[in-house]
Amino acid sequence: MSDSSRTRLALLGTMSDLHNKPVSYDLRNLQKIVTDLAPDLLCAEITKEAWEGGNLTLASLELRGALAPAVAMTDIVLVPVVPSTEQFADFAPLGGWRQRIIQTFDRLLRWGQRRADNAETINGVWFGLFCHSICELTEMFWSKQDRAAWESQNQVLVENIVRAVWNNKGSRVLVAVQCQRLHRLIPLLQKQFSLFDLVGYQNL
Amino acid sequence: MKQQEITVSLGGGYPLDRAGLANLVESFPGLMVIPFDAKMLPRVLLWIVDNNQPIDLPPVQENTVVMLLLEDFDFQSYPENTSGLFSKEESASALAAAIRQVARGEQYISPSLALAYLKSQQPQSRERPNSIMEALSDREKEVFELLAQGLGNKAIAARLYLSVRTVEGHLASIYAKLGVHSRTEAMLVAIESR
Repeated sequence: MSDSSRTRLALLGTMSDLHNKPVSYDLRNLQKIVTDLAPDLLCAEITKEAWEGGNLTLASLELRGALAPAVAMTDIVLVPVVPSTEQFADFAPLGGWRQRIIQTFDRLLRWGQRRADNAETINGVWFGLFCHSICELTEMFWSKQDRAAWESQNQVLVENIVRAVWNNKGSRVLVAVQCQRLHRLIPLLQKQFSLFDLVGYQNL
Repeated sequence: MKQQEITVSLGGGYPLDRAGLANLVESFPGLMVIPFDAKMLPRVLLWIVDNNQPIDLPPVQENTVVMLLLEDFDFQSYPENTSGLFSKEESASALAAAIRQVARGEQYISPSLALAYLKSQQPQSRERPNSIMEALSDREKEVFELLAQGLGNKAIAARLYLSVRTVEGHLASIYAKLGVHSRTEAMLVAIESR
């Protein structure tokens, strides 16, 4: 039997920088998922400075087009959790053979996305395996420094999520982040099992 | 898990006012407009007050809460069973938050109406020791300060990165420590203690 006083936390992967490419991901669908779930807190990828300053220009398309409108229309409170504006694609090498390999992975990822045009599929098991495998491979071709910076950014992000959970015991928390982070965040969040139950977003 | 919809009925004002308001309320997620004479009783009765007319509220069931939409405020003459006083000067999104707040069984008063009330009460206000702040925790002090600025629960929650439910918990604790029973009373204490 689940304990209703325990904080419940779920992850919802979004396509982030890839939303800027011509793919058919439906932002209205993402907005509807968030408003239907009506979490108490929505941890999202924007810096505290940008959110408090009302500056969404550097925020991802899904935050501007789906998450921020959902927050404006409901009682959901957005918690900005990223320490910087860099996204997955920003860590890729700018040239050389590593860049060419990563571009191949990127094309493969885009091929998958054309077949996964909504949040449910993106967060499904098969796309998850496909996407996470390619992201893992992509990261292997980054420089050591970039991998460390990405890891450090995810670590800070988890610390900010944990802080929000700590201040809101018993809440329902949805973490909406670019899907490339999921395979990094899940093991980090699982270590915090004493603070919350990590559940599927449908079960939040 | 999908959240249950809040049913809202509209009354008062002119038919055109109600039609426009119905469209607005229907556009908010989680809110559903139903006729007041429906078999299903509304959770919230939103009543448009005409300045030149007395507030002629119909009898409502115990489970229905009433929120008045006002242009300005006559402190002497609103019905006892009112849970919310919403200024027509406020934004549409604030209306959604206010409906949700009264639907949860809390009270709501627009900051502009609350300040007008407080100003009208200040000459007769009671003496309050400044030491009341010492009774509050650091987090409660932050919530109390924002309450004094006239912010609603959602705005306080957003400012402090707390959930609305957490803010409600802090407010309940603040009310208990101050020995007050309503948001308006707490705001009065907050302003006096500044």
